[in-house]
Amino acid sequence: MNKKLIYADHAATTPLMPEALEAMLPFMKGDFGNPSSIHSWARRPREAVREARAAIAECIGAEPEEIFFTSGGTEADNWVVKGSTGGLMVSTYEHHAVLNAAQGEARRGRDVVYVRPKVGSSGGYVMPEKMSKAWKEGIGLVSVMTANNEIGTINPIHLLSEFAHKRGALFHTDAVQAVGHIPIDVREMGVDFLSASAHKFNGPKGVGFLYVRKGQKLRSLLDGGQQENGFRAGTENIASIVGMATALKNNCARMDEISAHLEELTLHLRMGIERFYSNAVFLGSGIGSQLPGFTSVSFPGHPAEGLMHMLDLKGIAVSTGAACDSKNTLVSHVLKAVNATNEIARSTIRITLGSENTVADVDAILAALKRILRGAGNDIT
Amino acid sequence: MATPRECQYCHAELSRDEIGLSKKLFESETKKGKYSCMPCIAAMLEVTQDDLVAKIEEFKRQGCKLFG
Repeated sequence: MNKKLIYADHAATTPLMPEALEAMLPFMKGDFGNPSSIHSWARRPREAVREARAAIAECIGAEPEEIFFTSGGTEADNWVVKGSTGGLMVSTYEHHAVLNAAQGEARRGRDVVYVRPKVGSSGGYVMPEKMSKAWKEGIGLVSVMTANNEIGTINPIHLLSEFAHKRGALFHTDAVQAVGHIPIDVREMGVDFLSASAHKFNGPKGVGFLYVRKGQKLRSLLDGGQQENGFRAGTENIASIVGMATALKNNCARMDEISAHLEELTLHLRMGIERFYSNAVFLGSGIGSQLPGFTSVSFPGHPAEGLMHMLDLKGIAVSTGAACDSKNTLVSHVLKAVNATNEIARSTIRITLGSENTVADVDAILAALKRILRGAGNDIT
Repeated sequence: MATPRECQYCHAELSRDEIGLSKKLFESETKKGKYSCMPCIAAMLEVTQDDLVAKIEEFKRQGCKLFG
């Protein structure tokens, strides 16, 4: 009998939306022209890129000319960190795309200051007072993620950007985990730069964008042609750009409906876990202040790697730590940053639900967890 | 020669792969010297032994040294 496969690792990546695939196909077939060409084959691809840029800008409250297409979130993050000037302030639980880029800059002699998120039971958030304590003269760019990719906590970006601006620094947010899932308005957030990646919101992999507030300049990372207004060389990935815009537009149009669905499922999941495993520890403050569908939960005494593999054997995909880190057994830097004990950190799994998940999926996850934890010799009620 | 490990449930002698799988799945148990054979793991998790074999192959492909 074929077991039903349940995908509950949407923070790692999401399935491609059928509408996005449909929109992409013409540009992988007949409309293959290079938008930079000056003959008529360029017309449709060029128009498609223009429309995609406008659609994405509208979704995040930006102007079309403030959107720059990239190969994904990692490139966008690297571009801002490496293309900016002055000292850097980054949070200790950023994605490695920011952290490693900042460490590279430090090796090249730039001043890098780290700010820790708040710790404790309601921890996982970066607050201005934390930034104030770590502040140093000469910081030119602050980078704090909109929502954390391992624990799903959503930062008060408008407060953090205000803090940075008052001290003369620019503000970047890695919004890779948040775009398409929670309302994003770059003006309200007060950010100068914002990174996003399409595959996190049901778009294709290998494409993303960087928002650059009008008037701000970044040094280009790539030398080449004059694409992206001369700031990002390389022939545009037309099909993927179109797919990304379609996915984002659709996700934004259905955001309230999807959020409500995911909050219902998350509540069902958490209550279910609490019912059979009272010692479970949930990271982050819970629904409302975490990304929709996000549950980071520890089962003390049960190493997460084993739990993940056993769930996988039962056809259920979840994650331990960041997906990119799943091959090493080091304790995640995010869990370290929020002061999780070694015991909690080693036993934390991330269950991230998506719009296609159902109550039946959550029931199956609960049944599998119960079976696994009982089998591992537990005091399950 | 080291004493061969046996399954904590059915006392069957364990292969290197079964010892490796026990370590991968039940780290806390194996630290107490408790290991399980494939039929017992399959029964406990309600999966097939083929599922376990596929998982072991995946670990081997990833270069995990716990397996033969």
